[in-house]
Amino acid sequence: MLESYLPILVFLIMGAFFGVAPIVMGRLIAPHRPDSEKLSPYECGFEAFEDSRMKFDVRYYLVAILFIIFDLEIAFLFPWAVVLKEIGMFGFLAMSVFLGILVIGFIYEWNKGALEWE
Amino acid sequence: MGIEEFLFFVFAAILVFAALMVVTIRNPVFAVLFLVLAFFTSAGLWLMLEAEFLAITLVLVYVGAVMVLFMFVVMMLDINLAPLKEGFIRYLPVGVLVGVIIAVEIVLVVGAKNFGLDKVVDPVGHEAGYSNTKELGRVLYTEYVYPFEIASVILLVAIIAAISLTLRKGRQTKYVKPEQQVFVRKEDRLRIVKMDAVKKQSAAEEE
Repeated sequence: MLESYLPILVFLIMGAFFGVAPIVMGRLIAPHRPDSEKLSPYECGFEAFEDSRMKFDVRYYLVAILFIIFDLEIAFLFPWAVVLKEIGMFGFLAMSVFLGILVIGFIYEWNKGALEWE
Repeated sequence: MGIEEFLFFVFAAILVFAALMVVTIRNPVFAVLFLVLAFFTSAGLWLMLEAEFLAITLVLVYVGAVMVLFMFVVMMLDINLAPLKEGFIRYLPVGVLVGVIIAVEIVLVVGAKNFGLDKVVDPVGHEAGYSNTKELGRVLYTEYVYPFEIASVILLVAIIAAISLTLRKGRQTKYVKPEQQVFVRKEDRLRIVKMDAVKKQSAAEEE
């Protein structure tokens, strides 16, 4: 069973290689003369004027949680699509009810304006 | 020791290490990143149990979406570590008491008496064409259709709760709508007031 994951292992190794190799090459080949000014944190060329641990707007949280809910919804669709022929009409109706209930939520969030950023 | 057993111990060791770091590390951002590592390694363990769909779902949903949310929450809380450590000694007895009670309860419920190795059937290897996703789909939408529909209701509740908790009334920023701005006419902005010419009276003339 593990043999079937050999291609994935090859992909992992190659992916890690292509990610690490440019960093290592940049470190080895490029000139490396740091001073305190170069190493100090900056934003857009001037000194940072606030702490990086600032508060996010709560709207980002709303977008993230709505994304998670519909992400979970499509996670339920995958096994359903694979066995749709076997479970037949009953399975189709079960998924229709499932999607119907979530469409209520979708209409609600659309009408509430939760999808608009302004 | 076979290669599968070796891989299991590697994954298990990384998982336990990552889980320990999640609860012990000081920086909450690093704790979230260690939680990502824990999810990845448990996905690896599930792959070895031939539960491929669950493994991919764990990576997609938890690593891809839930951890993003955790990051937002960590960023939003604006955690300052110094006040968190205040009163550590004072609350220590209560904390230890609650922790011990929870640990005893967990051991009583999920201890070796109920979940020992003799209670669990050994997982058997499957033939080449076996599909975990198909097995899951066969029972999820037929036998467990009621819990499946309940899941959608729970998701609906989550949508409505998130919107009603976080959505603010009205607009936060003010701007002109471009389509109105283009079609603005002189009459909308400018009012010409007709009035007779009046000579301004200076203070010297009044005297």
